[in-house]
Amino acid sequence: MKSRKIGLHQFMAVPAFALYAVFFIYPLLKGIGLCFTDWDGIKAAHFVGLRNFIDFFHDQRALSDIRTTVLFTLGSAPLLNIVGLVYALLMNSEFRGKSIARMCIYMPAIISPLIMGYIWYFLLQPGRGFLYHFFDGLGHPEWFGNWMGNYKSALLVIVLVNVWQYAGMTMVIYLAGLQGISRDLYEAARIDGARWVDGFLHVTLPLLGPSIRINVITNIIGSLSVFDIVMSLTGGGPGYQTETLSIYIMRMCYGSKTGYSVAVAIILFLIVLIPVAASSWLMRKKEED
Amino acid sequence: MKRRKAAALFMALAMATGTLAGCGGAGNQPAAESKVSEPVEETAGAEETDDTQKESETGQADSGEKVNIKLFTGKIETIDVMNEIIESFNKSQDRITVEQEYQKDASNIIKIKFASDEVPDIMTTYEQGFVDEGKYMDISDQNEWWDRMSPDMKAACTDVKTGKTYRVCTNMTMAGFFYNKEIFNELGIEEFPGEWNEFVAMLEKIRTEKPDVVPWFIFGSEAWHLGHLIEFIPHGYVKSNLGTIEAKKAMLENDQEALKFADSDGPMAVFAGNMKELQDKGLINEDILTATNDNCVQDFVSGRTAMFSNGMWAISSVLEASPEMEDKIGFAPYPAYMQGSSPVVLSAEDSGYSISATTEHKEACIEFMNFLFLPENQQKYCEVAKAPSAFKDVTAKWAPEAVVSEVSAALDGAVNIGFTNEKPAGFSGDDAGRMLQGLFAGQYTPEQFAEAYTDAWNDGMGSAGDEEQ
Repeated sequence: MKSRKIGLHQFMAVPAFALYAVFFIYPLLKGIGLCFTDWDGIKAAHFVGLRNFIDFFHDQRALSDIRTTVLFTLGSAPLLNIVGLVYALLMNSEFRGKSIARMCIYMPAIISPLIMGYIWYFLLQPGRGFLYHFFDGLGHPEWFGNWMGNYKSALLVIVLVNVWQYAGMTMVIYLAGLQGISRDLYEAARIDGARWVDGFLHVTLPLLGPSIRINVITNIIGSLSVFDIVMSLTGGGPGYQTETLSIYIMRMCYGSKTGYSVAVAIILFLIVLIPVAASSWLMRKKEED
Repeated sequence: MKRRKAAALFMALAMATGTLAGCGGAGNQPAAESKVSEPVEETAGAEETDDTQKESETGQADSGEKVNIKLFTGKIETIDVMNEIIESFNKSQDRITVEQEYQKDASNIIKIKFASDEVPDIMTTYEQGFVDEGKYMDISDQNEWWDRMSPDMKAACTDVKTGKTYRVCTNMTMAGFFYNKEIFNELGIEEFPGEWNEFVAMLEKIRTEKPDVVPWFIFGSEAWHLGHLIEFIPHGYVKSNLGTIEAKKAMLENDQEALKFADSDGPMAVFAGNMKELQDKGLINEDILTATNDNCVQDFVSGRTAMFSNGMWAISSVLEASPEMEDKIGFAPYPAYMQGSSPVVLSAEDSGYSISATTEHKEACIEFMNFLFLPENQQKYCEVAKAPSAFKDVTAKWAPEAVVSEVSAALDGAVNIGFTNEKPAGFSGDDAGRMLQGLFAGQYTPEQFAEAYTDAWNDGMGSAGDEEQ
């Protein structure tokens, strides 16, 4: 009877497995196969061994894109966590209009990043955007620079827009973690003479461990694979200066280097995997300690 | 309990079947079509077909049987007029039904369609790589179309490698400088300069005498526009210098001895130096890296810019923004910028239609294209596309009279260049445009730009070459 039950249960998992197989396992295996070929999307593919991977490390544009992607992640992932946590702490306290504030913070996260990028583009456009006219109205148009016209400021703008958009998402996870911490612990800490900072450092942060882990990991993954916000704000420009690895993969894929683009996608997967695995291991180790 | 188990089992089966049902569609389709589509064996084939095949989505090519033709387009401006023509065609007979599919990113989407065997019967996208792979049907023998076409346009439609034709271009398009005649008249500029030095002097005159007017507006946030500048100016020089066919051959064979892209006094470095000079002198808009096409149109119609470079497709947006511009639009060729060269103007094929080499409905496709190419349909088409017809027997009011005469004068007074379809598959016009963005952002000196351009060109050619081994 037990074995019949297991058989039925296994069978009922078939639809889910079929979906997983069709939309994940098959493309993954197909992709792994393609990364060893010179397929250009038009002609027949030929096996080229590891040439695509070797070419990647000699490709200056790709290496520059890695630098941009990593710099973006180093700016975006920590800021998202800090801003998200600050928002969550605020939302966990009592004040009037909390629901409206929470909605305002979370709303950008549900708008398409592509649309968000275009909105910010028209806000920030030099000489024409809303912010330029605002500063012009104040009599100081010179305060507004061509922030999307050079590498450093364009990258900073992309980081800030990304943080502004997704901090709400991070906040929700932190807020759920904060609401799971018993008030008694803070009460006990206060009786022992702990200040707010002590309570935060010795009660809140340790008990937020699982939330921090989820947020750090998802933010690293999201930041390393960033695409749409960059595409809509700068298009990877000027030139290729703010191009990220995801944009590079897309452009190579449609630029008659499909096999190579799959190899770069696998390299991106490994680039994402390393910090995610490291941070996950570090945080788990700290929690165990 | 048993009933619940049975229900659960049924649901699991239904979901599994539903999930996997879509997976085999593409592979089955050609098999169903292949039985029915060879026009020569129509009668015998028809007798063998069963009811299921007759009801298949793609239908039957036999006379009297239903045929569905898929037309794939990336031309947003002609969607409505094509729908109108298609509707008339579908109503005019009951055997062939044409469906139009528009995709904004058509040149990339078509690659997916080819890769997944979902090839449309007729398409507006055309790429040398697909020509080389035999993806398009040879339509060289469609003399009823070619006889009506201007010889230049027929030549432009012909593949240089094979000498065969794989597409019919219904229109011509031109590109050059659109300028505001009112501003030019106010400044006493009677003639658009034909030499680069005179051109720069003219821009300086505009800058000095009308400080609020941007002499030349470049909307550099859109990589395609910068790519077009390279296509029309330095590539234009190569084509005018070598001749259209020789230039095409040099590009196909990547003959850098002839192209001279990397030379410090070659077309790329000189062009890049000229553009940097204009930027340094403030003769182009400051916001070149963030300006959009819409910004350009708005500034042009409001008199905040004197001129911009674009193709005929820009007319409709200018007139839409300000119908009063109708008599104020001037059109001029690109001035000669290399020693001993001549001004150039793009006069190229546009709006091409190709038939898939693997279509099962060749006769039906041709029947539809015969209808599409009827003079009365082409007249409507040209007026919407804002481009003159490539057919000699089609007269259309594709632009205001004043613009048409300006364009005619420009074509008469300059070397007419075609569009480069022979670029490396791995180095698109947008890629070239992004490199020019880099130049304006200070990433390259003119010499570095020429070298980087040549490297990217060679790399694009190299990847194509490797695949042919």
